Amino acid sequence: MLPLTATMAEPQHFSLVEKLLLVLLVAASAAGFWLRFRVVLGKILQSKPDASFRLFPIGRRILDFLWEVVLQAKVIRQRPLPGLAHALVFWGFCAFVLVTLNHFASGLGLGFLSPAGRFGRFYFDCAAVFALACAVGILGLFIRRFLIRPKWLGEKLSYQSGFIAFLIFLLMVTYLAAFFFTDSDPATRILWWVHTLALLTFLPIIPHTKHLHLVLSPATVFLSRGGFSQIPPLAGDEDFGLIAGTDLTRLVSLQAFSCVECGRCTEHCPTANTGKLLNPKEIILGLRGYLNDLGPASEEPLLGKYNPQEAPFQCTTCGACEFQCPVGIEHLPILIGLRRGAVNTGAWEDDYGAKLFLSLERGSNAHGLPASERDKFIEKAALPIFDGTQEYCLWLGCMGGYDPKGREIIADFARVMNYLGTTFGVLRKEKCCGDPVRRLGNDLVFQQLAESNLEALTQTKTRKIVSICPHCVRTIQEDWKEYGAPPTIEHHSEFLARFADKLPKQSRGNKPKSLAANSRTRDPREAGANLPPLSEPLPQPPLSIGSDETIVYHDPCYLGRYRNVYKKPRAVIALTGQLIEAPRNHERSFCCGAGGGLVFLGEETGERIGQVRAAELVSTGATTIGTACPFCNSIFRDALAEKGEAAPQLLDIAQLTARGLPQIKA
Amino acid sequence: MKIIVAIKQVPERDAQIRIDAAGKWIEESGLQYALNESDAYALEEALQLKEKHGGEVVVLTAGPERVGPTIREALAKGADRAIHIDCADLGSRDALGVARLLAAAVNPENPDLILTGLQSDDLGQGQTGVILAELLGLPHSSLILHVEKTETGFTVKRELEEGWFQSIELPTPAVLTIQSGGNKLRYATLMGIKRAKTKEVRTVTASDLTVDAAPVVVLERVALPQKQKSTQMLPGTPKEAAAALVEKLKFEARVL
Repeated sequence: MLPLTATMAEPQHFSLVEKLLLVLLVAASAAGFWLRFRVVLGKILQSKPDASFRLFPIGRRILDFLWEVVLQAKVIRQRPLPGLAHALVFWGFCAFVLVTLNHFASGLGLGFLSPAGRFGRFYFDCAAVFALACAVGILGLFIRRFLIRPKWLGEKLSYQSGFIAFLIFLLMVTYLAAFFFTDSDPATRILWWVHTLALLTFLPIIPHTKHLHLVLSPATVFLSRGGFSQIPPLAGDEDFGLIAGTDLTRLVSLQAFSCVECGRCTEHCPTANTGKLLNPKEIILGLRGYLNDLGPASEEPLLGKYNPQEAPFQCTTCGACEFQCPVGIEHLPILIGLRRGAVNTGAWEDDYGAKLFLSLERGSNAHGLPASERDKFIEKAALPIFDGTQEYCLWLGCMGGYDPKGREIIADFARVMNYLGTTFGVLRKEKCCGDPVRRLGNDLVFQQLAESNLEALTQTKTRKIVSICPHCVRTIQEDWKEYGAPPTIEHHSEFLARFADKLPKQSRGNKPKSLAANSRTRDPREAGANLPPLSEPLPQPPLSIGSDETIVYHDPCYLGRYRNVYKKPRAVIALTGQLIEAPRNHERSFCCGAGGGLVFLGEETGERIGQVRAAELVSTGATTIGTACPFCNSIFRDALAEKGEAAPQLLDIAQLTARGLPQIKA
Repeated sequence: MKIIVAIKQVPERDAQIRIDAAGKWIEESGLQYALNESDAYALEEALQLKEKHGGEVVVLTAGPERVGPTIREALAKGADRAIHIDCADLGSRDALGVARLLAAAVNPENPDLILTGLQSDDLGQGQTGVILAELLGLPHSSLILHVEKTETGFTVKRELEEGWFQSIELPTPAVLTIQSGGNKLRYATLMGIKRAKTKEVRTVTASDLTVDAAPVVVLERVALPQKQKSTQMLPGTPKEAAAALVEKLKFEARVL
């Protein structure tokens, strides 16, 4: 048994031949790295500059960098075991920077850290701990890739990755082994040289493999646009989106070369998981292939050979890919960029798409219905018209204004607002917020809708908007900024959560006889919308609808991942029944399939995303499915229709809340 | 082949119409305007003919300055150039007056084909196209769903009642008024709008064309349709209600 010395051994003298050999090998390795890396760097830098890129405010970038790169928090959080293994390897590498520099310096007789010295000894001992962790980590990753073989890593085994794992393992073992020998032991010299050769072999493999992420991804994370699905404004008169290589910006190219091929995007993609053509990882690798073969100056179309034409148009823009990506790739601006390129030039031919665009070019809503339908609903539901004196403008949206179920949600939400004494009104004229055309890449119609709505809101002096639709909320708050300053907007879950202590608690006591049986004196405050704010909470109605009712909540993509609102709708649901979680929830929520304008396009290929998700929600055994987005609601309504009587109830959080209000006599 | 498409700007489909103070026309302030629907189909037919046979598509419109965006839209969809007859008093001219303006502008162009929509969404007279043909002394056909170019002229598909169609041969040049729904319309694109900026729009004023502006048909009064929906609930057993219903249909509605 060899003695553990707690001091790393290193050869004390190197002959001139050894030194010369070392210099030659280092030069060869560095040249091997640079000659390949230079090509990649050249392609990134030759790409079009990002017109809207701003380095400042830099604080957000530093925080993202610390969280995602230094702490590896995203990697660990979303895939705990492999994430931790990866973090151990990463931190091992960081600790080894100084070790490695000293390693080569000592080979030339210029070592600056003495293993026997105070700091040196401390540092090498610490590095040994990191080395051990790193060796365990890489072994774990090796076992995962070659024995467990998750399908997200691709069907083909990557022997290159195996070889890299072996090199990393060898590096750590040769470092650790040096603690068991003395300086003068011949084995020390052999270990030193094996370590050196492993390092110098590793270096030139980096630029042309996915291990390029070692070099690029810290920069990718730091330089990312930030936010979520930030769609850059088109720059100049010749920019129509991503059409050819000349449209790829530096950020897009950097992101394409940074892909580590881990497949998290595809693992979480609702489209890729229901038998469709779109695979977010392949989209990124397709762009990388294009850049490798043709480069950023090419006029060849991006879609066609390197990525299928229709793939980007299957995206629901749920954003699971972008949310999951550990190396800072922003899939949505890329996917939407490809759509923009096809739609802004008229290259995309789709009957449903054209119909939607024409409806919004000429009319006011995505359903293609006359605006008078909305007027009729406003009249029937007795919704007050916003005149600038009320606190809130209640944004109806295409679903709330025209869809039967959406109208029910609006009517119930209006009842709740009346009950709370909040003053509100609806716009006399309102156009689609532009969400479907924004996501489908029709910049012309989106601009027309955004500008027209902004003007209407300015005219009515709207300051605060509340909406039942997370798509409207996102589009109005974020996407309209390109064309003006939108008023503050919030989702009704945020509104309702703020009034949680004033809303009726539908206690889990006795089962109610029936809703209609709950006739009670009419609250004067329900008579009209223009009521003074509540000075004191209204008496809680002793209603108990929520008896043994379990409600499974489905996180809408545009409320969760896009807006980071998870707790508030849950707090609202908890008032009305017993909340249970869906199999995939919070930031991992599985899309209903409606987003990205897809609800207005034709039938899906493969399995229907909405049915997959509805089945998942039904499998929880909940008596009610709680939604917070009229699109999710509409999709699940169709999916549940197949189940007939056996289907759970389907209610929006506004409806869940409203049924606990004191009933008005008809 | 040179095709002229005569188009009209009308209040957009979702516009909330009010009657102006004189009661002679609608209140135009605050209205948003769009391309007349059947004119959009006429333009689409012209663009498809051009794509098949080559040539030029010229859009022609009469109206005040506000027609600019509608002209741009037509150019964005693929028309090559436009002629704008600047005419602030379009509302006071009858179909004959408008057709006279259009005919004066068409004459020097010598087109092979002239297309217009079947009728305008605002006045709905369906006259302008056929009067234009008469003024130009050209053969015409109305309610056209499809146009096929032949060696000597055109074969057109004309819509009749109850799902019947007529096939008609016309020589070149001819005037056709196009029915909505014959084609799938293309959507306007950003690239089209940007390219349209450099296309020629020639403006002539109505007075330059020196045509007779005096109307032979004068609009007396316009009014919104009366809302007259009323619902009556008939009480009693189904048998009694049915008897009461028959009674009412016979003697009040007089449809039985």
